[in-house]
Amino acid sequence: MSHNKSTSLKSTPTKKQLALVIDLNVCVGCHACVTSCKEWNTSGSAGPLTDLNPYGANPNGAFFNRVQTYESGSFPKMETVHFPKSCLHCEEPPCVPVCPTGASYKRAEDGIVLVDYDKCIGCKYCAWACPYGARELDEERQVMTKCTLCVDRIYSETLPESEKKPACVLACPTSARIFGDIHDPESEASKAIENRSGYKLMPEWETQPANHYLPRSITEIINAVKAEI
Amino acid sequence: MHPNFSLIFFTTLAGMAQGLLVFIGILNIGNDGLPNDFLVKLAIPTALVLLITGLIASMFHLGHPERAWRAVLMWRTSWLSREVIILPIFIGITCLALFSAYLGENNSWIWVSLIAASFVLWLCTAKIYQCIRFIQEWAHFSTIVNFIILGLASGWMLLSILLLIWFGPDTISVLTLSQFGFILIAAAMIVKLWIWKRNRNLRPKSNLNSATGLKGVNVRQTSMGMTGGSFNTKEFFHHQSDLVIRNLRRIALVLGYILPLISLVLAIGQDQVAWVFIAFVIQFSGLIAERFLFFADANHPQNLYYQRIS
Repeated sequence: MSHNKSTSLKSTPTKKQLALVIDLNVCVGCHACVTSCKEWNTSGSAGPLTDLNPYGANPNGAFFNRVQTYESGSFPKMETVHFPKSCLHCEEPPCVPVCPTGASYKRAEDGIVLVDYDKCIGCKYCAWACPYGARELDEERQVMTKCTLCVDRIYSETLPESEKKPACVLACPTSARIFGDIHDPESEASKAIENRSGYKLMPEWETQPANHYLPRSITEIINAVKAEI
Repeated sequence: MHPNFSLIFFTTLAGMAQGLLVFIGILNIGNDGLPNDFLVKLAIPTALVLLITGLIASMFHLGHPERAWRAVLMWRTSWLSREVIILPIFIGITCLALFSAYLGENNSWIWVSLIAASFVLWLCTAKIYQCIRFIQEWAHFSTIVNFIILGLASGWMLLSILLLIWFGPDTISVLTLSQFGFILIAAAMIVKLWIWKRNRNLRPKSNLNSATGLKGVNVRQTSMGMTGGSFNTKEFFHHQSDLVIRNLRRIALVLGYILPLISLVLAIGQDQVAWVFIAFVIQFSGLIAERFLFFADANHPQNLYYQRIS
């Protein structure tokens, strides 16, 4: 079993694996990635994404991307971290093998995990099998939805080259989102992971998320400077 | 996890039918254990009604039941797909058993395949839950044991009352039925107490530090990114207070196990049929509470990301 795993890990880097690398140093929590994601995907091939009660007290709906906020430390040494979260396009996605219909699949050519809405029976089993809560059921269409890495943008034949990126990446005002092939050591994404100690969420479940997060280094620098003074 | 009544009714009703058919099979292999009349007119039709009710109940869990046939496709990797395949096979074998009994035959191979299919169905149902490795309450072989022992216990109780209805207490020994029922329910109770003890002692492998990768101490969420909730805040939590869960656990223990055991002791002591019926009814209502808790007790690590609205 372990032998198989090591061989599969060795063979994967040769293939393409598109992913996002999220820089927690510069995310300001503006939710521009959330709204631009919703805007593109509700009008694109993944949509329409349901909005329930959008102007009421408890608006609800399907989103592919959320920005959350965390705090750590205690006063006065506190830190606020804005933390965007979307499908991590795992290299060993636990959501894919459990799907009874084959609606959930991982593309061999670029590693994007997708849902075929025409095959999805809405059993929600894939969402149960995702430790990250990356999948959201569209309550009106009753199919599972998730981040597509804007597959309809990045391979678009009509968009100019500079716009063939996920909507969230283009929208981010601080360039906190880096998009690229993490199996290509020369890509911006791979270099960011390599040089700035990009990490994976919940490594304990061995899902090998493709999306990485760049840890905060600013505070370390400030603390180092303060220590010198 | 959010307990879903369609799954609660499917797993309890189908489990009971499976237990019933296993014991019918065991009693009929190699000899004419149960008369064909009883099988054709009461026992097997009851099992079929339960299975089909369970099957219909399970459909309510789907967003697109009209596409349910597609679920047979991924049997190589998905336990849910395997369950979807074995369930109609199991119903088919049950129909075959009914037809064979109707013709007055007693084919051992039908009974053997019925018992085998029943156990395969239990395995598939339990594996659906057990194979999710990060739901630590489920990712243990006790999940399979629990589904099987409770199916056998409730199936035996059902067989007992069907036999008593058909033959009356004069021809059927209340004593034997109740003694075996007592053993099964007692075994199921030991399994359940062991599972609850294991759940209490579980240490979650994931925490906010591993979920966010933030290295600092005292990491806490200040916003989950939306105010009105989402699929993530509905599907993965039971939305009941601790008090409700605590009381439900008492109800499950008392109704599912303790009262049926007492009723069966009284049935044995007084040789009274009524106690067997009471035990059956109480045990099934307890079983619903037990299955509710099976889902409610399961902690999903995604909840780490959904702790505070703002």
